[in-house]
Amino acid sequence: MSYVTIDQVTKGYENQVVLNDISLVLKKGEFATLLGQSGCGKSTLLRSIAGLEDVDLGRILIDGKDITNLSPRQREVGMVFQSYALFPNMNVFDNIAYGLKMKKIKNIKSRVKKMIEMVDLIGKEESYPHQLSGGQQQRVALARALVMEPKVLLLDEPLSALDAKIRKNLQKELKRIQKELDITTIFVTHDQEEAMTMSDRIFVMNKGQVVQSGSPSEIYTSPVNTFVAKFIGNYNVCNMEAFRKLVRSTELKGNEVAIRPEVLQLVSVGEDSLDLQENWVIKGIIKDVSMTGNVLRYEVETEESVFLVDYLHHRGNMFEQGARVHILVPKKECIIL
Amino acid sequence: MKSSLTIHKVIVGLLVIYLLIPLVGTFLFSIAGKWDHTILPESYTMKWYIELFQDERFYDAFRRTLFLIVMSVGLSVVIMLPTIFIITVYFSKWEGLLQAVAMLPYGIPPIVGAVGLIKVYSDGPIQIAGTPWILIGAYFITILPFMYQGIRNSLRTLNAVQLVDAAELLGATKFQAFRTVVFPNIISGILVSTLLSVALLFSEFAFANLLVGGRFETLQIYLADKLNSSGHLTSAIVITYYSMILLLTGTVLKLTFRNEKYPVVSNKKRILSFFRKQYSHKNTTLEGEK
Ligand SMILES: Nc1ncnc2c1ncn2[C@@H]1O[C@H](COP(=O)(O)OP(=O)(O)OP(=O)(O)O)[C@@H](O)[C@H]1O
Ligand SMILES: [Mg+2]
Repeated sequence: MSYVTIDQVTKGYENQVVLNDISLVLKKGEFATLLGQSGCGKSTLLRSIAGLEDVDLGRILIDGKDITNLSPRQREVGMVFQSYALFPNMNVFDNIAYGLKMKKIKNIKSRVKKMIEMVDLIGKEESYPHQLSGGQQQRVALARALVMEPKVLLLDEPLSALDAKIRKNLQKELKRIQKELDITTIFVTHDQEEAMTMSDRIFVMNKGQVVQSGSPSEIYTSPVNTFVAKFIGNYNVCNMEAFRKLVRSTELKGNEVAIRPEVLQLVSVGEDSLDLQENWVIKGIIKDVSMTGNVLRYEVETEESVFLVDYLHHRGNMFEQGARVHILVPKKECIIL
Repeated sequence: MKSSLTIHKVIVGLLVIYLLIPLVGTFLFSIAGKWDHTILPESYTMKWYIELFQDERFYDAFRRTLFLIVMSVGLSVVIMLPTIFIITVYFSKWEGLLQAVAMLPYGIPPIVGAVGLIKVYSDGPIQIAGTPWILIGAYFITILPFMYQGIRNSLRTLNAVQLVDAAELLGATKFQAFRTVVFPNIISGILVSTLLSVALLFSEFAFANLLVGGRFETLQIYLADKLNSSGHLTSAIVITYYSMILLLTGTVLKLTFRNEKYPVVSNKKRILSFFRKQYSHKNTTLEGEK
């Protein structure tokens, strides 16, 4: 059953189309992520769902009800902004209670208290926003939206202003709260790793359109085009003509081939345990080695292009800069685009 | 290091003395009985102040000035606050235009403005030349840049647009959002602009003299008139005047420092330039006296 439906929504500013005929459908309780580069229209889509922007064409439905022309306050949608947008003149309690007061809802106190417990802010009720850390402000913003029990929760890059460690913690906590309340959530990010860990479903956006949607592993293992392949997980994308030359084969079709860096293997030239049945073999020279935490990344120069090869960082995986190697490319892992 | 610090202190000290001497001199003169050949007065008296505070004309002038100021500043707040809010939040396209209009008064010297105003309003449908209403209109324009900058900066630093968005999503109407979220956060910013405007209008002379002059004697006109009679009395007026303005600026400064959390930079700059203006004003008064 669809719970949120975006139906052919188009929106432009002056002479620039920002959302280009976007359609997407979410199930109840789903955690969906809009993933895309800066300026691709993620915030605009989110703000359109919230009613903070008008759409030019198309419809938006929540729980079977057409909300396209309702004002923000009638939509029962909660939103957390990237810069939190807490009310500086109110303390934590009043910030969270604000919506309940506006809607004249009863037993404000107990509901706010429950929310404060949920986001782990006990003891901070009397603090003002400027007395809180970034992560705490984020929790207040979240609690302020959630206390209204919205039908849909919209999160616009809520974690991007926080440092890596707090960010990881809050990701987990956000996910926990989302599961606990079973709230349909649309999360915006341009960090593919964040999208992968959090989402039930990812919508990859480019230039105002959804280019691919699916579960994180679907998106990761089978990108539908070059854009997704490059954006998700640093795929090696190689022109097909060049690739055919490299592997000396004519049986391959298509325009481009995409290969994840972690499926590639390096073998020193001279070792002759090459499985030519399962793999393509490409000759190359190690141009550069870099380390990102537990991953060693080799840049291997071949006759046609540079390939990235990722290895887990442990002894025995060491190749020196300038070493001559063979790259083993598993045939099964080549994604033809 | 140390010697350069001393030089700094000396410079600051000289500056303070330079700025304070006229003020101290005026003050001493206002409480001096006989003061002919000595450095300090030979005797002191409060009679100039007593004379001043017993003069009905002074109170009348004070009341008129107060009326003018309250009317123009009040009108400015009531009109400009919603206008600027609506334009910055909902019609940001028009912001440039509003800013240009608000800055226009800087470009017109009061004399030119006054002559123009008298010409326009002495006949035709609105004949208010010579009445306090034309002065209120002129004052409204005079303080427009101050009010505009102050209110707009407060809204900017607050990120009012996003707060209104957030409040609306939580169920507030636009008006409720303004009243509960925006207004409480910009009130001190507005107060600063208001007090600065009041202080500015307190010392405005050109418009007051040219537009209404003796027909609606304000404090400024009264002061100018008294310049010709007793120097001691004038000094007493100047000191009274100055104390009032000092009180105002003190309040402004206190408010600004209390708001350090959400600093409104240009307000501070304005206070500085305002001080400069006050001092030069005092200096000319004193020279006129000698
Ligand atoms: N009020 C506006 N007026 C004109 N153009 C706008 C406006 N708001 C957004 N845009 C344009 O719409 C496009 C999409 O903006 P949007 O904020 O949705 O991007 P985004 O995907 O959220 O990017 P980011 O990841 O940087 O937040 C941008 O090219 C931007 O310039
Ligand atoms: Mg955005």
